[in-house]
Amino acid sequence: MASLSFSLSPEAIYQLHDALMCLGKFGDNVSFEAEFDLLRLSVLNSTKTAYAAFAFDADKFFESYSFGVDRRNMSAGVQSHKFCCQVLIKALVSVFKGRASGRNKDTSVERCEFELQDNHDETECRLVIRLICGLGVIKLYKLTYEPVYIQHATFDRSRATNEWSIEPKFLKEVTDHFGPSAEQLDIYSEHGKTVFTSFTTKIADGKEILRQPVHTSVAIDKRDFEYYLAEDNRHIAINLKDFKAVLAHADIVHARLTARFTTPCRPLQFAYELEGVKSEFTLMTRGEAVEDDGPSSSRAAAPQLSARQTPAPVQVSQQRPPATDASRMPPPSSRSRSLRPLTGTSARASQTPVESQGPQPPVEFDSLFVPADDDRQWDVPNDGGAPAEDELGWDATGDKDTFTASLRTRVPNEESEAAEMDQEEETGIPPTQRISQLHGLGLFD
Amino acid sequence: MRFRTKLTNAETFSKLTASLSSLGKTCWMRLEPGNIRFTIIPDQGTQVWAQLPIDAIFDESSYILESNSGGIINLEVPIGALHRALRSAVDAKSAQLRLTQKGRIPLLALTIRTLSWAPGSNALGITAAPAPAPAPAPGTGTGPGSGSSSNDPPTITNGPTHAPPSSTTTTTDTTTGPARPGRERETVITQEIPVKVFHESAVEGLHEPRCRDPDVHIILPSLGQLKSISERFTKLASPGHGFASAASDAATKPTATGASAAAPKLELSANMHGSLRLAIATDALRISSVWSGLVNPSLDPGQLSQGEMERLPSERMRAVPGDDEAGWARVRIDGRDWGKVLSVGRLSPRVVASFVHETALILYVYLPGTFNEEDSCLTYYINSYAA
Repeated sequence: MASLSFSLSPEAIYQLHDALMCLGKFGDNVSFEAEFDLLRLSVLNSTKTAYAAFAFDADKFFESYSFGVDRRNMSAGVQSHKFCCQVLIKALVSVFKGRASGRNKDTSVERCEFELQDNHDETECRLVIRLICGLGVIKLYKLTYEPVYIQHATFDRSRATNEWSIEPKFLKEVTDHFGPSAEQLDIYSEHGKTVFTSFTTKIADGKEILRQPVHTSVAIDKRDFEYYLAEDNRHIAINLKDFKAVLAHADIVHARLTARFTTPCRPLQFAYELEGVKSEFTLMTRGEAVEDDGPSSSRAAAPQLSARQTPAPVQVSQQRPPATDASRMPPPSSRSRSLRPLTGTSARASQTPVESQGPQPPVEFDSLFVPADDDRQWDVPNDGGAPAEDELGWDATGDKDTFTASLRTRVPNEESEAAEMDQEEETGIPPTQRISQLHGLGLFD
Repeated sequence: MRFRTKLTNAETFSKLTASLSSLGKTCWMRLEPGNIRFTIIPDQGTQVWAQLPIDAIFDESSYILESNSGGIINLEVPIGALHRALRSAVDAKSAQLRLTQKGRIPLLALTIRTLSWAPGSNALGITAAPAPAPAPAPGTGTGPGSGSSSNDPPTITNGPTHAPPSSTTTTTDTTTGPARPGRERETVITQEIPVKVFHESAVEGLHEPRCRDPDVHIILPSLGQLKSISERFTKLASPGHGFASAASDAATKPTATGASAAAPKLELSANMHGSLRLAIATDALRISSVWSGLVNPSLDPGQLSQGEMERLPSERMRAVPGDDEAGWARVRIDGRDWGKVLSVGRLSPRVVASFVHETALILYVYLPGTFNEEDSCLTYYINSYAA
């Protein structure tokens, strides 16, 4: 059983509304995660290629915020230190509809109170929103929520080797030049310029030349960036619609946008901070995967991926010893399920006897996403074939401790590396494989 | 085959393509040594045959055109995409258009340079010696930069015995970086529009429609005015709107819905005494607007002999008195199609309408500007519907 209630000032209502509008561009449902010091709203899109999250600080953003957990009586969605549920964005946005313009009316909203009803003796699963307006008008909304376990995209900022920051209005100018049919955006830099190219992976019938999409590329000076610390000629491609959704919100709130990424096929994160609000967007990227990304990272994907299946979070918290060992791996139970190779041919590859593979040649591939073997095409692999491919890895628990633990293992550390090696021996094939390494299995040769 | 030129008048080009794109999806573009032609022949509706001297939109000195078929290149262009691409060029410092290919797909590549002013973060514009760029680089190697270490305190479970490390991010490091002066920013935009290249033989059979000498020539009033009135009329007569819906009571409803497939027909007529009439008629209403005092241009006497002039139908119509209904030439045109045609009004041209009674309406649209009006003309061929 959890109790959550908070109230918002009119200014915060607009901010929340803007955030919800932005989240609505990623998916239909918004996840609420209440913790003692923050409330996180997040959306993981249906193809699991993009994750958007806004974390509202309990003290700075809200007029009042209270969250409590009754440990004796846990209901669904409640963990020892947090509560998770999901609400339809459309329903939530409609509560605030038209409020943004009614600022000067007598009956404009003066305060907004949220309360979650999780008691067994109350109507179940209701999110009650009370808008207290001028002249004593009170508008009451009762929405249904669904208790869920929430999946997070993990992104380790400390390992992001490329980073840039820019005013969103410059990027908006860039995207204005793109045609309406453009789907993807490729970003790279050379000769002091950063080039944004729109392209479309859905190629029309080859004969229909005129139906082919217009390719637009826009080059801006690197000096337009606040700072640009990314490798030259490193192409990285993201979904344009997601990018525009991020830009639109960053532009509204006048926040400077920071992008962090390592290599193509690994996630890219846009982030910006406002007073009391942290925004993060973790997006899938495509492009030419980099073969060699340094020794320390070669096996780091394992802990990240280990939690990509949703383990029962309660179980996790039980298993965690009081003092977390830094090099400790996340629960083995989830790990064993994560062995499904992430290749584009996962359906078939997973049928090959995994154990018989024995010790693998060192897997250099350090990606959450599988690179297409022929990266010039940037083709979307068959959508119907293997939905698991090109996905982010998720930390399903969102558990900070586990997260930190897995973070620490990535720091070059002989001991932990050795520990990982052992782990790998035990569990057989590492969870990622290049498509090219699957040659010889007789499937595609 | 080579084609390359600079655009001198991207705005006109953009407006032209916008007007053309309302009539059809693809456009036949014919590049000749002195002229460019744009032709749209839709399956249904109005045909456009446009011809411009190259200096109307291109820079003559940089115009390069080479091909095996007599220095002529025939292209099929998705006109809407070309228009969208050209919109990026309207405010540009320079724009260049060239024919190229990528893989096996021929492209019209439009390269645009724009300049804009980026105000510096230093509001007063007073700059000390420009400080070196801040470099809180997270190193490109494996070791994260000291300033960009993870935000998460390493040990959460230990409780507050240790003060958590300050969560300084690179972002906050650089926001306090040195103020930067305002400066000019240059942006280079490349738009690649896939096109089809035709051989000359493929387009030999295409020719402009021919019809008999028109009965009435008249210079149209402001297209903006004509367009808004035409649209108003069309709307009124459309099923489900205004009077038309009021008229369609239960008994007439089936017929009304049956007629909804085709847009209402406007009746446009003119005489040789400076009058133009726009009218629409439905079961419920009959409206018309009449313009008078318009100009009936006369044909160039140098091209025709006196005898030929007198035999022209327009001269016979001129002889009919202005108040006689017989002196009016009339066409019935599709309201929606007419609206698309009138979108050429954005070029603020001079338009001569030639009426062939009950047969066709031909519009000669002359672009304004410094170039020779004789050479730059868009010709619209609009069929008349039977009553």
